[in-house]
Amino acid sequence: MIGIIDYGLGNLRSVLGAIEKLGFQGTISSEPNDLSRADKLILPGVGAFGDGIKNLKSRGLIDPLNDLVTKQRKPILGICLGFQLLSEGSEEYGDHKGLGWIPGQVKRIEPGPEQLRVPHVGWNDFQQTRDSILFDDVPDPALFYFVHSYYLDTDANTTVGTCTYAVPMTAAVQRGNVFGTQFHPEKSQQHGLTVLKNFLERA
Amino acid sequence: MMLRKRVITVLTLNDGTLFRTKLFTPDYRYTLNFVDAWSVDEIVMFDVTRGDTPDRQKFFDAVSNFAQSCFVPIAVGGGIRSLDDVKRYMDAGGDKVVINTGALERPELISEIAETYGAQCVVLSIDAKRDGDRFDVMSHSGSQTTGRDAVSWAIEGEKLGAGEILITSIERDGALQGYDLELCAAVADAVSLPVQVLGGCGNWKHMVSAFEIPGVSAACTQNIYHFTEQSISSAKKFLASKGHPVRV
Repeated sequence: MIGIIDYGLGNLRSVLGAIEKLGFQGTISSEPNDLSRADKLILPGVGAFGDGIKNLKSRGLIDPLNDLVTKQRKPILGICLGFQLLSEGSEEYGDHKGLGWIPGQVKRIEPGPEQLRVPHVGWNDFQQTRDSILFDDVPDPALFYFVHSYYLDTDANTTVGTCTYAVPMTAAVQRGNVFGTQFHPEKSQQHGLTVLKNFLERA
Repeated sequence: MMLRKRVITVLTLNDGTLFRTKLFTPDYRYTLNFVDAWSVDEIVMFDVTRGDTPDRQKFFDAVSNFAQSCFVPIAVGGGIRSLDDVKRYMDAGGDKVVINTGALERPELISEIAETYGAQCVVLSIDAKRDGDRFDVMSHSGSQTTGRDAVSWAIEGEKLGAGEILITSIERDGALQGYDLELCAAVADAVSLPVQVLGGCGNWKHMVSAFEIPGVSAACTQNIYHFTEQSISSAKKFLASKGHPVRV
């Protein structure tokens, strides 16, 4: 059973649909009991950082998730906003503290001299920088769907792959049992489904 | 290594049934195959069910159906007026919402959605009609004039927190004579957001012309696949042959 964490903001149905397509069972819940019974957790994401953290707090999820992820070492995959929430904090609409399971801060994408448009929306190349089970059987580079105005500024030991939009940025991380992708695997056709399958089967 | 230009299919549904936009004649080829599931980059689904308080359940069912079968982003819209509406559309399986008349009636709706769901979740759709050398913003599915200027409204939308602009030429819609390139360029030049263009695409060359405008990041089509045997993948092969980066 895969626990999809419901904090009122994610595109939960899409994530559940992808998991079921891969032959796994999932449950969408904000109940710590349900989540503690799950083999693995997914923190999906469509939304703003401040609201994400506020909603996790108001549902009483921060302490139970800390226990499940840092003590019980349950595998967790953060997607897009869920991926950014794994970090130490963000500057989106004010300063906010994150879950702090991976190092780094979430910062706004700068358009740079090329005057690129923000948000970064669409299919972009993902390049692997370190081995991770998430990208087994995925070509390198491969196209994934991104949609974000902020990016996670983290270190090379946490990053497993990057995309380039004005500048190279971290697009996937792994640190022990904590996994995350800035892109949406559930919205990235066959390669996205492979990433999810890898997490479900091999994490 | 670069961001690809997007080819987006727009589906307009009335009471859960796919409609061709021109003259709103029903088209019953409403299948998932219709959108060429492995080639389309994104899907936009609009509900045009009429009535004071339209029953959108069949539309939501259709969105759910697509969300469970097509693993690409789905933008949903049609009649969104409040954050509660946004939640219902997102719960059905939408990844972002498209707002139009709701934002014209109450521009702060753009900011409310951006602050809750993030700017990337808000696509501001602008229906424009030529008026001399400017473009009038139309509301209520293009039926009413607002007196607003399309370019100024796009700029205001960006300031209020929209994440993308979808610009539609009302006159070109369904005409298959090509996008209104002046309109596309005027809007794309005025904002620093990704711009999607809609209205008038009748062949793949029309997409090439749109992508030659800096800032146009997505070409949307809705009628073309009804009239041709051609698939999205053939459109993309053509675009790639003309030097535009697409996902093939």
